[in-house]
Amino acid sequence: MSNILATRPAIKAASGTGPRGRRSPSDKFAPYLFVSPFLILFAVFGVWPILHSLILAFYHTNGPKSQVFAGFDNFKFLFADPDFHTAVWNTLVFAFWSVVLQIPFALGLAILLNQRWLRGRTFLRLAFFSPNLLGQVFVGVLFSVLLAPQYGLVNKGLHALIGLPLDTKWLANPALVMPALILTSLWLYVGFNMIYFLAALQAVDKELYEAAMIDGAGPWRQFLAVTLPSIRPVAVFVLVTTTIGSFQLFELPYIMLNNSAGPDNAGLTVVMYLYNNGFVTGNLGYASAVGWTLAIGVLLISLAQMRMTGAWKAEAK
Amino acid sequence: MRYFPFGRAALSILALAVTSGGWLALQPKPKHHATLTYWTFATTHYDSYKKIIPEFERQNPGVTVDLELVSLNALASRMQSAMLADLDVPDLFEVEIGQSAALFRGPTKDIGLVDLGPRLHAPGPDGTPPLWDRVVHARFAPYTNRGHIYGLPHDIHAVQLAYRRDIFEKAGVDVRKIKTWDDFVQVGRKMTIPGKQYMMEMSDSDATVLEPMLFQRGGGYFDADGHVIMDNEIAVQTMCWYVPLVAGPHKIGDSVGYFGQVQTKAVEDGYMLCYICPDWRSKNFENDVSHMKGKMALMPMPLAAPGGNPTTSWGGTMLGFTKHNNHQDLAWKLAMFLYLDKSQLADRYRSTNILPPVKDLWSDPVFHERRAYWSNEKIGDSYIRLAPNVPAHYSNPVIQTATDKLSQALVDCVHYYNTHGYVDHGDAQFESYVRSRMKMRADEVRAMARRDSY
Repeated sequence: MSNILATRPAIKAASGTGPRGRRSPSDKFAPYLFVSPFLILFAVFGVWPILHSLILAFYHTNGPKSQVFAGFDNFKFLFADPDFHTAVWNTLVFAFWSVVLQIPFALGLAILLNQRWLRGRTFLRLAFFSPNLLGQVFVGVLFSVLLAPQYGLVNKGLHALIGLPLDTKWLANPALVMPALILTSLWLYVGFNMIYFLAALQAVDKELYEAAMIDGAGPWRQFLAVTLPSIRPVAVFVLVTTTIGSFQLFELPYIMLNNSAGPDNAGLTVVMYLYNNGFVTGNLGYASAVGWTLAIGVLLISLAQMRMTGAWKAEAK
Repeated sequence: MRYFPFGRAALSILALAVTSGGWLALQPKPKHHATLTYWTFATTHYDSYKKIIPEFERQNPGVTVDLELVSLNALASRMQSAMLADLDVPDLFEVEIGQSAALFRGPTKDIGLVDLGPRLHAPGPDGTPPLWDRVVHARFAPYTNRGHIYGLPHDIHAVQLAYRRDIFEKAGVDVRKIKTWDDFVQVGRKMTIPGKQYMMEMSDSDATVLEPMLFQRGGGYFDADGHVIMDNEIAVQTMCWYVPLVAGPHKIGDSVGYFGQVQTKAVEDGYMLCYICPDWRSKNFENDVSHMKGKMALMPMPLAAPGGNPTTSWGGTMLGFTKHNNHQDLAWKLAMFLYLDKSQLADRYRSTNILPPVKDLWSDPVFHERRAYWSNEKIGDSYIRLAPNVPAHYSNPVIQTATDKLSQALVDCVHYYNTHGYVDHGDAQFESYVRSRMKMRADEVRAMARRDSY
């Protein structure tokens, strides 16, 4: 108690209040002065472009100079365009399978690599994480060669193992493009998400396991009753970031499908649709409308996910 | 610390921020040292210009040229961003044919490129005819918009078929007897071994080869006024003809990708025997599959029908002049030097195999040399013979959408063909499907094109 009392004057002095508890004018402005460089830069390079893109979304932009107010026309066209529907569908499919496959795989790996009996744990952690060090463009190039028909390693392997035809066109057959993208992204990101789960697992209170064991809980029961509730905040975080990341998918299909959306637009994602309209066709107004629609969509899905997983309730507790 | 109550650390950070910020603010604006800035996306162009620009600078004392190599996709994006922001625009730039039309969007007065019409129609120095009369006219088509010409064509890119001469000779095939595509398909059926060897590189999922076939038959994406024609009768018939060559039990074409190591391996292995080969690609073969030297040869494209067009074209590059440039005459002089100067022709041709679009230059001996790689043929001669016949590629700012839609139509038709059986159901039913599908895809392009109100 005496220690707490002893620190009070020091806190008071550091807070910068005067003898009567009033702040001097310079004290009031000081915090703003210190954060002002960031705020100015953020306003110029963050807030203004965002607001400008919102304005632009309501204009037809024809060429670099001409803008004609179009009301909601960009949004109307967007929702009627079959390519946008394809892009949304592809993105949703990719996001769904990314979440469904990546989270269990990442969690499974994390649990495995958290076991003390496993030899070479550190090396394996590095090995599983290392694809993430490469970057999407490199991985895209790598997998476009691995998945090549006739000569690709994947086809050669599958031909030897299960007799799959050598000329299987992973990236030229509309039905196989999405599985190829999902598997590539799984290879790329599962190790990354594993790190989050690993950190969460290491923070779980060991006494909880001991208590569960005393109560007669087996490994599966311990996993359900102790591990999962303990790592829930991290799982929600991984779920939301994986979903958001999936909705931002661009580089991987763009590189793997040779700067295109692939056969029959099978690899067209919403961001690629945005890029094609904004930077290939040069219609920045329309691209802004796509961008805002995507942002609102991602926000709604993230909110829904957080609500469904009870993230806010946990936060409130 | 009497006047600064937040401690030394905060004071140091603040002092550092103010000093460095002040120092940056006081720096003089970097002056653009070069008189002209030139962007290109093609490594072969960059290498050949790099060699000869010092000569241009020597001939024009005080003039410096900043040559920059910018990646193909980045170049189009950077040009659009630069024009939008009026920043860092090059004085001259080369852009790929498929990306050029996007720069012609909007009201004519706002297009950031110089209309080259007056210069092209003006007589040349020393009494030479206007450049307009010297260049193959069809090559201006993709760079013409609402009557204005915004690009100088770098090339012609007439197409022949590259083929594995050694394999054909071993099989007793005399390519001189292949006059029409019907002849070609007949030979193809004999030469094709499913899964091991195909007559020709043709894709069932992208329109890369279908497109030059369409142009050979007089079709295209747009007419001279920019209207969509990719669902006209020529296009429908081309698609009906093409699909059975890449799908079904009698297919003679396959593709493993048009560039890179996998394609190189396929050429070496004879997985495909014939390849669409414009002049620029003949250099790719020489570089990428160098040990096929003497085993490859070129033959003219078979005719769609007797009397039809013996060639088509694939690819292209335009040189544009931005309005931003304050030295228009000098920029034109540089362009003429890089594109037309006779002293540089030989080097440039040997390093790229690209035939210039200016007809009077073709008499230079370099274009008539024999090439060991191509079984000692005079490949320049054959490209020159075909050059006047290259079809015009009319364009529109939504050209990229149109190429994507043609690919989609192809995938649709291949899927239908594979699942319904072309022979069982008869030609008429398949043709009807192709017609409806191509109209649907063309209508999607029309909807996109209508949004550009200029």
